Amino acid sequence: MYIYRIMLFLVFGGYLLSPVLMSGWGEPDVAWYRPFLIWGGLIALGVWLEQKRKLDER
Amino acid sequence: MSANLLGTLVLGTGYLSLLFLGALAVEKGWVPRRLVRHPAVYSLSLGVYASAWAIYGSVELASRVGYGYLAYYLGVSGAFLLVSVMLVPIQRLARTYQLTSLADLFAFRFRSRWVGTLITLITLMAVMPLLGLQLKTLGDALQQLTGNESPTLLALFFCIPITLLAIMFGARHSHLPVRHDTLLAVIALESLIKLAALLLLGAVALYGIFDGPADLQNWLEGPGAALQSDVTRLDTGQWRILLLLFFAAAFLMPHMFHMTFTETPSRKALLQAGWSFPFYLLLIALPIPLIVWGAQRLGIDTAMPGAAYLAFELSTNPWIDSLVFIAGLAAASGTLIIVAVALAGMTLNHLVLVVRPPEKQENLYRRLLWLRRILIIAVISGAWLFYQGVGQHHDLAALGLTAFVGMAQCLPGLLAILYWPGANRKGMLCGLVTGCAIWLLGMWLPLLSTFSPMELLPSSLDWLLDEPVWYVVTLIALNANILIFILVSLVTRTSPGERAAAEACSVEAVIRPQRLPLTARNAEEFTHLLADALGPETAKREVENATRALKLSAKDNRPYALRRLRDRIQANLSGLMGPSVAKDIVDRFLPYRLGEGRGTDDIHFVERRLEAYRTRFTGLARELDGLRRHHRRTLERLPVGLCVFDEEGELLMWNDALARLSGIDGNHVVGAHRDGLPPPWDDLLTRICDEPHDYLYKQTVTLASQVRHLTLHRALLPPEEGDHGAMVVLIEDHSELKWLEDELVHSERLASIGRLAAGVAHEIGNPVTGISSLAQNLRHDSDDPDIVQTAEQIQQLTQRVSSIVASLVGFAHGGRHIQNTQLTLLELRPLVDEALHLIHLARSGEDVSYDNRCPAGIQVTGDAQRLVQVLINLIGNARDASQPGGLVVLEADIQGNWVRLSITDEGHGIDESIRDHLFEPFVTTKAPGKGTGLGLPLVYSIVREHHGDIRIDSPAPGQVRGTRITLRFPRPQEGEPQQDDSYPDE
Repeated sequence: MYIYRIMLFLVFGGYLLSPVLMSGWGEPDVAWYRPFLIWGGLIALGVWLEQKRKLDER
Repeated sequence: MSANLLGTLVLGTGYLSLLFLGALAVEKGWVPRRLVRHPAVYSLSLGVYASAWAIYGSVELASRVGYGYLAYYLGVSGAFLLVSVMLVPIQRLARTYQLTSLADLFAFRFRSRWVGTLITLITLMAVMPLLGLQLKTLGDALQQLTGNESPTLLALFFCIPITLLAIMFGARHSHLPVRHDTLLAVIALESLIKLAALLLLGAVALYGIFDGPADLQNWLEGPGAALQSDVTRLDTGQWRILLLLFFAAAFLMPHMFHMTFTETPSRKALLQAGWSFPFYLLLIALPIPLIVWGAQRLGIDTAMPGAAYLAFELSTNPWIDSLVFIAGLAAASGTLIIVAVALAGMTLNHLVLVVRPPEKQENLYRRLLWLRRILIIAVISGAWLFYQGVGQHHDLAALGLTAFVGMAQCLPGLLAILYWPGANRKGMLCGLVTGCAIWLLGMWLPLLSTFSPMELLPSSLDWLLDEPVWYVVTLIALNANILIFILVSLVTRTSPGERAAAEACSVEAVIRPQRLPLTARNAEEFTHLLADALGPETAKREVENATRALKLSAKDNRPYALRRLRDRIQANLSGLMGPSVAKDIVDRFLPYRLGEGRGTDDIHFVERRLEAYRTRFTGLARELDGLRRHHRRTLERLPVGLCVFDEEGELLMWNDALARLSGIDGNHVVGAHRDGLPPPWDDLLTRICDEPHDYLYKQTVTLASQVRHLTLHRALLPPEEGDHGAMVVLIEDHSELKWLEDELVHSERLASIGRLAAGVAHEIGNPVTGISSLAQNLRHDSDDPDIVQTAEQIQQLTQRVSSIVASLVGFAHGGRHIQNTQLTLLELRPLVDEALHLIHLARSGEDVSYDNRCPAGIQVTGDAQRLVQVLINLIGNARDASQPGGLVVLEADIQGNWVRLSITDEGHGIDESIRDHLFEPFVTTKAPGKGTGLGLPLVYSIVREHHGDIRIDSPAPGQVRGTRITLRFPRPQEGEPQQDDSYPDE
């Protein structure tokens, strides 16, 4: 259950901070793939928490 | 028809034929089942979310608002990353109560068929623009490729195979909750194709137009920078609203609800989709900016109308155009198929069956199936008509956002289902109607006319005039919806039925169903009662399906089992015709017996739910649950039988020790009424309940053909605040104790008999000797043959009496002779010969033959006279048991440290019931007057004196009858005294 809360916190935190993602479109000092990197990081975190959940509920 | 048009139509129909072939391969089992049911296939099938909007709409949005297009992907990814919090609870509800659509879920929670109807109508209104969008992109793409001026007719052409696919693979079963593996596989294949196509288009842009990522970055920093500055950025509020709309779409859109909850193969697959589906969306979103930038690099004006179809401009290569077209067709066809299947189910359950409820008929399943198929055709036809009449005149964003904003009006209701048990129907309906009215006025009406909704904006909201219409409408509609929902729910009353449904749906609450008795007493009566509503065949099939799912027997009459059966039937009927109709049928035809029982909580069911939710508890709840499990385990593992009944006599617990004692598994009886338990438990437990005392001492019962003596203790648990009363019964098996008591009494009796026998023998011995002497004198003194014969008979009888007396004395003195006898090394074979010689002297049994097979040289240590006595007794018994012409065999051998001697006959054998008592005095298998019953006890006594033992096998090993008696004596050790060696006198 604690893991669900972490995920809840991350997703709603991400929701609040997400406008930052839009700011990089075509800007010279920002790599074009930056939003995808952040998104990929969130998915990796989801995979890791899913593994933790499996261990927790075993 | 131009060659271009023909080629495109062939390409499109070829692609749809490929889907048919793929579906056929799955259907025929050519694709391994393991692969079809793999969680990855399920994750890919969720890619149905990526509709034509993802192929064309995203490109249009990216060219207008930059990374703002990501909201479409990130919103739904957020919902899936919260799979455990948002999706699993809905999936659990959908699976438990067989809810196949959002309308089912709302109708179930708010306990009203009209709620289901309203949600269905809203969904139909909201989804039509989305379906129109799919057909519009299809028509526009065809127009782009072929230059044909009738895109709507071309789209209609493709609607026909798409409808066939939906009917063939999405409406195969009358039960909607039945998973469609083929459909799932087809949609997964489409997701894979559109992903591959988009990635290829991205690669074409990145490596065909640019020279790789570095060149792209250089272009963005150089010549492209000016173009990017023209892009309008979404403001924070708009971005967040978009995220919210697409977050809600994950479970509100009918095709997403259908794929996420109805077609879920397992919870594991859904949990895995929590990260694999966002990953899929990441991959499919990645090429979108590359396509836009590629087009800009080629000098195409991306701000022009029709920017959605920029991908067609990337290359003049017809293969690239074909790739874009196939990606769009895959996306549009997948969405059309699943939306049509889902909407057909919703419309059937919440419009058709509500207007015309199912009648008692033989072919109900068939009728429902055909209705569903007709509705699929109606949905796709309706979508085309919408596209033809309305959709083609609007851009993709207007159509798509109308759909998403409309469905988002159900979001407050859905969140309340999961997290607010206090919400009620009135509040939800008021909020929903208000929100939808604003949405219809603000977004739907402008699709049909030139009406400008912003003109209706009150002056206090003038600050919203510069915002886009979709944003203003969403903001006002959702806020009004939520506010009214909360206010009305707080000030109005919630019905008890709604409260119970709210508890069943709530994430935090554990359902506490009431324990009410049913009118039907077993599954057969269920069938009989339901036949009035569904027809006999359908009723029989439904009851059989439910009993099979619950692993119940048709004869099971446990109240608990019947309640679960009723719930299961209601759930299954809900899958067939929606929760409202199912509830009506079950309430009417499988009613509870009102006025009986007090409707107390179903503790057993509550416990099972607690077990299922165990891993979700935290903090104090977890500690309390741990404590509950500890106490339950203690009771279950108690080495004494224990059962618990509630106040109505329904069994709540049957622990392991009692299951072992009774041979009845607790799972088969828990929930049964006391009277319904198998005998002798029904009578026994009823008696302890009625007993004035709290115990029943040593009750004799027969369990598994064995007589048992059980002692029962009772404890009454009076009702306390918040808890109902119960009765605990402890059952102790005192059979062993009773047996020991009987043994003790028996031994005492035998000891008394022994003492009596010794006294009697002593007193009888002298007169008998006198009678024998007098008879002998009479024989010698008289010449009268009659007198001589009489005297001889007297002598024979006195010898018999003397023999009995000698046996009695021997038995009474058993164990004491050894101390005064001399033990010598004895050859077994001569001993057997001597015993046989003495047996031959007896008159009876001359027709029985004896075979002494004892080898020479086998010796034992013992008293020769007493061992011969043993042999005479055993051979005599063998002779008496044998039929005329029978054979008695005597064999001996050495086995380790033992000498074995066996006597085997071919007689009638020994009855099993008496075998354990053979060495007890006065037990005999012979006819009255033929045996004293002291021979074998004496044999046993002598053999034990010689430190040996006896074993009896009947029938004899290797024979079908007869008896083998095997004696074992310790083998004499080397250096043991040869002769005249005796134990010292004490």
